[in-house]
Amino acid sequence: MAEKAFLYDATRCTACRGCQTACNQWNENDEEIPTVENGVDAKNTGSYENPPELSPQTWVKIRFAEVERNNKLSWLFTRLACMHCAEASCANVCPTNAISHLEDGFVLIDQDWCIGCGYCVQACPYGVPHKDEHTGTARKCTSCIDRRDNGYEPACIKACPPNALLYDDRSTLLALGRQRVQALKDAGMSKANLYGENELGGLNVLYVLDDSPEVYGLPAEPKLATGNSIGQWIGGLLTAGLITALPFWFIFKRKNQIAAGELNEGGAN
Amino acid sequence: MAGMAGGAYLAGFAVNRFTGGRNDSLLRLSTYLAIPLVVVGVLLLIFELGNPIRFWHLFTQFDVTSPMSMGTWILMAWVIVAMIMIVSWWLQNRVSQEAADSLAGLRGPLSIVSAVLAAALITYTGVLLAVSSQSLWSGTVLLPTLFVISAVSTGVAVLILAALALNAIAEGNMAGLKGALNFIFGSAEWKTSKEMVLKLAETDAIIIVLEIIAMVGFVIWLVTSTSGSDALAVLISGSMAAPFWVGVVLLALLIPFGLDLTIRGKAIEAKGVLMTITTSSLCVIIGGLILRWVITSGGQL
Repeated sequence: MAEKAFLYDATRCTACRGCQTACNQWNENDEEIPTVENGVDAKNTGSYENPPELSPQTWVKIRFAEVERNNKLSWLFTRLACMHCAEASCANVCPTNAISHLEDGFVLIDQDWCIGCGYCVQACPYGVPHKDEHTGTARKCTSCIDRRDNGYEPACIKACPPNALLYDDRSTLLALGRQRVQALKDAGMSKANLYGENELGGLNVLYVLDDSPEVYGLPAEPKLATGNSIGQWIGGLLTAGLITALPFWFIFKRKNQIAAGELNEGGAN
Repeated sequence: MAGMAGGAYLAGFAVNRFTGGRNDSLLRLSTYLAIPLVVVGVLLLIFELGNPIRFWHLFTQFDVTSPMSMGTWILMAWVIVAMIMIVSWWLQNRVSQEAADSLAGLRGPLSIVSAVLAAALITYTGVLLAVSSQSLWSGTVLLPTLFVISAVSTGVAVLILAALALNAIAEGNMAGLKGALNFIFGSAEWKTSKEMVLKLAETDAIIIVLEIIAMVGFVIWLVTSTSGSDALAVLISGSMAAPFWVGVVLLALLIPFGLDLTIRGKAIEAKGVLMTITTSSLCVIIGGLILRWVITSGGQL
């Protein structure tokens, strides 16, 4: 099966948030109204961004950033949702293999198999999965597998009015993204780039950005959580060996030897 | 909990090894102590799950890339080996001399296997956090090191307190309790000499010095890294500052170290030495638990 992907064009997004609504509707996720009763201390964050974070009920949201560029204020939008990484930290750390890659590259959490340990929540470099206290499982974007299996586009794609969000073969979208980046560069946006082409082995959500990823709040070099796990294991095991050997050896063996040595010397005198 | 248990076992194991097998009873005490600690720790972990009933899914996978999966198997393997050791001790005085000898012979290699598993056990808790995207945990390779040292330090402290408690029972007038302990341990030899307690306290003082060095290294490493310094600020000056400075720096490290210094060179019979050792061990255990809590919660802020 050909690898599939989403392409999000930040320069086309109008932040209408139709994708958020469509996602919630299709997946029957009730938006939790941010009130104190619902456990959310509703505060004015000084932004139109809403809800403030991804949650077990919010699998996609548009993030706002206000940036000053060339003495002009820019209001930038980014899509925040599962990146469907090829090298997925969540899938690597999941102890029950409830998280896996579909044949077309998207990452899915099996809700019937997830035990709700929350490890993926801590491992994701994008802070995407969230543990749902009601279901007791980690939840995130499913790439609308139920729609796609029946020949429909994912809900967010279907809803996007300016076609800032596309769904197609990854190779097709890569070509399209590169073309779009070139057009932006030709128009004088020298920092335009295609995010997701190579990050974490290649993301299945590609981003056309007109500025560096950091400006949009995306990590320029996202790290795989399990990238240095061998080093961590070795460091810990070495310490465990040394700490079991040295202090105990010194107190229980070396000191006895010294004491015995002193006695011998005393005897010689 | 699991760290403390693994640390206690390793302490008993190391003492027995370095004294040429003359402290089998201390190894036995540490094993008897570690198993309930591990079991309580595992139960707490299971109840933390979103779906505790599904915990058995963990045993359907052996996934080397997931420290949690590895931890599951390490915990289970250690408990099984330790249980076999316990049974062998329990049977020791209940079977013929010949059988008892072969039981003791079996325990030697088993105790080594168990020690390797205990080392993996106390390492896994640190690796579990370090393999993540939270910069407080993954920003250095010193988190497993720090956790391992704190595991052994708290393990020695638990062993000291348990030994003192058993000695108190032995000296007290509690025939029923003594009988129960004789039954559980399979023999009447479950007292620990006072000299051993003092030596364990001396060992813990050295381990605490190493822990202080590891903590300083951990802090410096994070301060000098770009993402780590923000994460560390939560501990040093942010919302976790009070538990960090009071609970970790004072209670887990400086106070026990200072207390251990005051009894340096003194005999165990000297006035106040036992009291000092008890206080120091209590500080190590409470401080050690706060250390875990501060790092675990602080990393998620």
